[in-house]
Amino acid sequence: MTVFHFFNCAILTFGPHAVYYSATPLSEYDTLWTSIRAAVVYLVTALVKLVCLATFLNVSESDSFDPYQELLKALFGFIDVAGLYFALTQLTHRNISQNHKFQAVGLGWAFADSVLHRLAPLWVGARGLEFTWDHILQGLEANANLVFSISLAALGSLMWLRKNKPKTLIPIIYACAGIVATMPSITSYLRRGLGWHLPKVVGFELFSSLLIAFISWQLFVACQRPSN
Amino acid sequence: MANSLRKPAVLDPMYYPVVALVIVLIACVELSDAVTAVDVYRLVQYDISGVPFGSRLSTLNHHAGSSLFASGSSSDLSRTVLILPVRELNLTLITEYIEQKKLLGGLLLLLPPKFSPENIDSTFGADKDIDSLRNKLVELEWLLTHSNIPYPVYFAFEDDNINAVLAEVRRNDASGQPATATTGGYKLVVAASDPKRIASPNIANIQGWLPGLKVDGDSNQLPTIAIVASYDTFGAAPALSVGSDSNGSGVVALLEIARLFSALYSNPKTRGRYNLLFGLTSGGPYNYNGTQKWLRSFDQRLRESIDYAICLNSVGSLGNQLHLHVSKPPENAYIQQIFQGFSAVAEELGLQVGLKHKKINISNSRVAWEHEQFSRLRVTAATLSELSTAPELLESTGGLADNRHFTNEASIIRSVKLVAESLARHIYSQEQKSISIFADDSSLAVNPSYIRSWLDLLSTTPRVAPFLSKNDPLIKALEKELADHTAEVNVQHETLDGTFAFYDSTSAKLHIYQVASVTFDLLLLLVLGSYLITLFTFLFITTRGLDDLISLFRRPPSSRKVKTA
Repeated sequence: MTVFHFFNCAILTFGPHAVYYSATPLSEYDTLWTSIRAAVVYLVTALVKLVCLATFLNVSESDSFDPYQELLKALFGFIDVAGLYFALTQLTHRNISQNHKFQAVGLGWAFADSVLHRLAPLWVGARGLEFTWDHILQGLEANANLVFSISLAALGSLMWLRKNKPKTLIPIIYACAGIVATMPSITSYLRRGLGWHLPKVVGFELFSSLLIAFISWQLFVACQRPSN
Repeated sequence: MANSLRKPAVLDPMYYPVVALVIVLIACVELSDAVTAVDVYRLVQYDISGVPFGSRLSTLNHHAGSSLFASGSSSDLSRTVLILPVRELNLTLITEYIEQKKLLGGLLLLLPPKFSPENIDSTFGADKDIDSLRNKLVELEWLLTHSNIPYPVYFAFEDDNINAVLAEVRRNDASGQPATATTGGYKLVVAASDPKRIASPNIANIQGWLPGLKVDGDSNQLPTIAIVASYDTFGAAPALSVGSDSNGSGVVALLEIARLFSALYSNPKTRGRYNLLFGLTSGGPYNYNGTQKWLRSFDQRLRESIDYAICLNSVGSLGNQLHLHVSKPPENAYIQQIFQGFSAVAEELGLQVGLKHKKINISNSRVAWEHEQFSRLRVTAATLSELSTAPELLESTGGLADNRHFTNEASIIRSVKLVAESLARHIYSQEQKSISIFADDSSLAVNPSYIRSWLDLLSTTPRVAPFLSKNDPLIKALEKELADHTAEVNVQHETLDGTFAFYDSTSAKLHIYQVASVTFDLLLLLVLGSYLITLFTFLFITTRGLDDLISLFRRPPSSRKVKTA
């Protein structure tokens, strides 16, 4: 029964990644290798980030929200952006279109994040006898994270790969990318600064991820128009 | 060479430690993820000459219930652990249930926190309920220890966590949804190994010897007076049987008397013409088995030199009445002498001492009083106790209801004065004079803080003899204390009479898990499946179009057509 629950939570956490890969044209163009390389870049980035956090951040004894520390954390959050930049521009991709490249990179990125951050707690927690909603909520969080990652990759590809984009949209693109990159700090603020509970935070994440996805989609479409 | 290359290495030996480490880590992690972990104390499990009593199982892994009649008479409780607070327990119902041998998954009895041995500082106040609760506990204990219960029975103390769980379980029961595997709820788990029989229950008798003053040239041996108290307990939960009154009070009184006389005997001028023998005996609840073995180990000369023995049993509860229990007829000169000595001092202390005579039946194996073991060996002896009648086997042996709150220091002090004073008058032949040797303000005054500290220690230390090891700290402490006051201390280790057998695992950790039901997980799977299918369809349509999706299902026949064409 508890293995059953673990199975359910694992489906919720990792299923959407697989579905995304098989349902979109990514599978047709065989972009798996790109995703895997993006995942490797994520792992390296996470390691660098961990080292930076461990070097510059104090371990807070209390669970309160410390603005200075959070600012530092948000700054380190941009290491992610740098990693994504590397994955999008420096890795030699086989000739797949930019459309598919950012999706593959975002997918690999999100999957690596899920494996790194959610697999171990799931394995340990969801198989126990004790039932909590936490693991289901974490699965939903992973879904939101997938959407965020793909949105960020889309915005990144707009920023760095597309040359002839409308000038008016550039600030919007950068603002959106900034918001997505600081999303971990925002949720951390909601949770600790405002004392939101996990269901509320996850709800916010899901909602904002859909909003960001919609905006970046519109931006992408708008940028594509002049080239056509 | 090719051979060696092909040899399949299932797992490089280098990785074995890593694998072992991972397994250990997983095992560690899985142990502690419960919502609540509670200390629980198992009902005693023992046999008397092969007849089983008490709780016969220790492992528990069932859902929680809150009432014997949760959902009608048809329901089966054999897979349910009942959580019953003793405060609200209906004794007649539970008696019926146990006597009819109906099955249960397990029983968790919640004791009021006031009865916790660790809770000795809190005061009860004048609470009428406490007395009725105490009587209820005594009855419950008698019932549980004298029945053969084929399921695990545990005791725990009420606290906020467990009360919250109980409230929720009750709510579920009231709404007609008792917890089972399909509806979820709380699961109580005690992971304990099967109780094992304790191979040879150890009993330790501690003896202290305070020699009297021998006049030079007197070849006769000095007479001896023995002061004896049994220190071990028996109760429904061995890990909670602290027995403050039975017989913690007797032990405390004995130690204080030993302290007082050691002060007197340390000076040759005040050293009496009697040897004093202090005995802390074990096995008290089991027909004073330890006392019997202790007396048997004496050599003939010592046994004959004993003038008389005073046994102290339950002398610490409030009340003005004490009883001197004897086996010889009250008209016996020695008995009269002891009794008159006691009653003279008692009068001065404002106490009443009554003489109670109970004949020994040699053919009956039951020994109700400690002095009967002496009397069987023709040594004059008496037991001083507040109990007016002889207890049954395993009655008044320091169980659940006998704790610090019901034991009174002032009573112990009074009993100490009574015994010490009458002994001193006898030793120094001052019977007719009403002098006070241990007067309150003198250097020989009874020390209340000494009594309090020992009483507190004993009231927090469970002392069921079979569960005390040979080198138990308590035995060491008693030995050391007697060594401080007497000249010669011996600890005698014996094995408890074979008719009694005990089983271990007296305390455990209870984990309370909130579990989801199978149906919930099935539903969740359905929801997740439809979510993923919807997601798939949505992504497919938006990125490739509806036609492609439809063709996905049609492709196999169409492709065959292409091939044939």
